[in-house]
Amino acid sequence: MTWMHCLGALVQSASASQAVGAGRIVGGWEYVWAAYGITWAAIVVYTTSLIMRLRSAQESEDPR
Amino acid sequence: MANRVRWAFLIVALGMLVVGAYLALAWAPPDREMGDVQRIMYVHVPQLWMALLAMTLNFACSVIYLVRNSWKTDSLAEASAEVGVVFGAVGIALGSIWGRPTWGVWWAWDPRLTTAAILLVAYCGYLALRRFVDDPERRAVWSAVTAIVAYVDVPLIWYSVQWWRSLHQVQSSPRTVDPQMVLVLRWQSFAFLSLMVFYVWTRYLIAMATRRRELAMPAELSAPAPMQTSEVAR
Amino acid sequence: MNGSPRIGLLRSLALVLAKDILIEWRTRARLNALVIFAFGTLLIFSFALGPDTQLLQRNAGGYLWLALLFASLMALGESFRIERENSALDGLRLLPVDPRALFLGKALGNAAVLVGLAFVLVPVMIGLFGVSISLSFGLLAVTLVLGCLAISAPGTLYSAVASNARARDVLLPLLLFPLIIPALLAAVKATTVVLQGDPMSQLRSWFGLLAGFNLVYWGLGFALFPLVIEE
Repeated sequence: MTWMHCLGALVQSASASQAVGAGRIVGGWEYVWAAYGITWAAIVVYTTSLIMRLRSAQESEDPR
Repeated sequence: MANRVRWAFLIVALGMLVVGAYLALAWAPPDREMGDVQRIMYVHVPQLWMALLAMTLNFACSVIYLVRNSWKTDSLAEASAEVGVVFGAVGIALGSIWGRPTWGVWWAWDPRLTTAAILLVAYCGYLALRRFVDDPERRAVWSAVTAIVAYVDVPLIWYSVQWWRSLHQVQSSPRTVDPQMVLVLRWQSFAFLSLMVFYVWTRYLIAMATRRRELAMPAELSAPAPMQTSEVAR
Repeated sequence: MNGSPRIGLLRSLALVLAKDILIEWRTRARLNALVIFAFGTLLIFSFALGPDTQLLQRNAGGYLWLALLFASLMALGESFRIERENSALDGLRLLPVDPRALFLGKALGNAAVLVGLAFVLVPVMIGLFGVSISLSFGLLAVTLVLGCLAISAPGTLYSAVASNARARDVLLPLLLFPLIIPALLAAVKATTVVLQGDPMSQLRSWFGLLAGFNLVYWGLGFALFPLVIEE
């Protein structure tokens, strides 16, 4: 992870001399994937949990 | 019929989120300063907005419950708190992940993240309170009181953390000026909103079923039972 | 109770306060234990954080308030335990005591205990952490009083709730701590500034935050406490 950060810093200092894209962070896609992965994992887990809990709550009720 | 509407919210949400993922990851331009890492914003911000919305719903239900006792209101409060905690936890985790490449650290006492973290703990306390009180009526009143106090605290926490932080440097926030970015953010927000409706609605049904089981009352109920010898929690 | 509600409230408040102070005085051992606990906490902070005197000096305000906060958990938990045992709370409810007076009395009583504790700890803090009071002792006193009041109001409210739930020892800090953070921040900052000097004139803002917090929380406690203890 840190070498990506260093790379970004190098690119920043290099690009500063070119006055183009100053302060740009290069790459960092692993963070993006981590973020979207966590989002989707949470969605799957919580949705499943809710559906299962609702089912068990409704089954334990007397049939109407 | 209502059940179909509820499921529709989930289907719509998932569909929009899939499209949104494409929009966020491929279609939206990279940020001038943060590059592609900025794409995390499209999942981080909407989820925190949903958390805030859920907390507000919880606050409204808590106030309404104290004015007019109703199991529906209490169940809705319970549902919105749990959903708010889920969105809040994920939102904060994503904020931390975003912070690592942009700030260089996993946590930076940014006023917003800090306030969110404090709120997360506060609402976990709310959920713990609900779990530890067995008497449904007491649980409803006490959690309503707790929720009101916690929500009123939000601006206090926000300002105190801001003042506290202003003595050190303040992190700047990304500027979303690009119209494409705004569009994706809006799309994602509606997607998560649809998801939230499904979550709160489902969790509400679970809470109502639990209430019915606890009170052994008929299916259609809206008012708390008259004083029965309910087991007082130790 | 058909007299003016104002008088009824004040008189009830005085009665509740007097009752609690009398109980506290009769069981002084508990107060002593509280003081020793707080002192021990301060001591442990010194050991845990090492002998770097600069560090200790800079953060002395923080350690003081942490010790007070932990001690407050014990004090707050106690204040309703007495009521719960022997069902004394039911007795209070049967009397025509305005529950809001009960809140004010209990909360003020708790605040008084905390303020007393705070004043006892100040010389300990000065001794252990090598700090001195740069501004005035009067300002330190104001800070301590405001902070203790700020802990006591929500603490009393939540103590009434937690004392009737399961896992009450865990529930009280879990409910109280996140809420108290603004007050804690302000109290620590104000204390630090009073001890170390105020080059940037921050004290007013921190006092303002403490005052605002107190207003909100005493108001909320006053309004919501009756709901919490009614049967």
